[in-house]
Amino acid sequence: MAELMQDNWIFLAVALVIGVLVAWWLFAARRTRVSIAPRDEDTPAKRNQALIDAPPAAKAAVPPPTPQGLAGVGEAVAASAAMTSAGDDLTRIKGLGPKLVDQLAALGVTTYSQIAAWNDAEIDRIDAQLGRFQGRIRRDDWPTQAKLLAAGDEAGYEAKFGRL
Amino acid sequence: MPIWLELMVLMLVAYAVGLAIGWALWGRSAETEGNG
Repeated sequence: MAELMQDNWIFLAVALVIGVLVAWWLFAARRTRVSIAPRDEDTPAKRNQALIDAPPAAKAAVPPPTPQGLAGVGEAVAASAAMTSAGDDLTRIKGLGPKLVDQLAALGVTTYSQIAAWNDAEIDRIDAQLGRFQGRIRRDDWPTQAKLLAAGDEAGYEAKFGRL
Repeated sequence: MPIWLELMVLMLVAYAVGLAIGWALWGRSAETEGNG
């Protein structure tokens, strides 16, 4: 066996290098590849001339906005803005970093109380949308952490999860 | 065991070792990446 390896070490080295290259392609290249379409600033934007030359389509009958139709919109926007500005610092939850905060914000989760209120079904729903961070919610027990943080119980938190 | 088969097995082992090295270098760090 040793003699065979000595005689054919070059083949073994090539196989090893191929293995490393395949692993690199699997684990590094495919994950971090960013595909940004090259944008040529010098060429003018292509316009759809046929669309430009076409006769205007019949105007859709859009009813003018009425006060009744817009009733409540202002309040909803204000409430939404208030929620955004009142969002908690979710990065205090262990296992939850800036990227996850962004992902959760996109899902409408910005406060401890929202996470604390998650049930199993909601955890599954959110978890399924966390991509490569799947499993973090249960692994790091975000709901319990969030409950303690929402209650301001830092002593209880540190007793269970370590220093904040 | 014929010599060519032995060599083939050794090459497969070397390939697997290469995969393991690559995983340790790039795959493991992605799995155990810190807080997202």
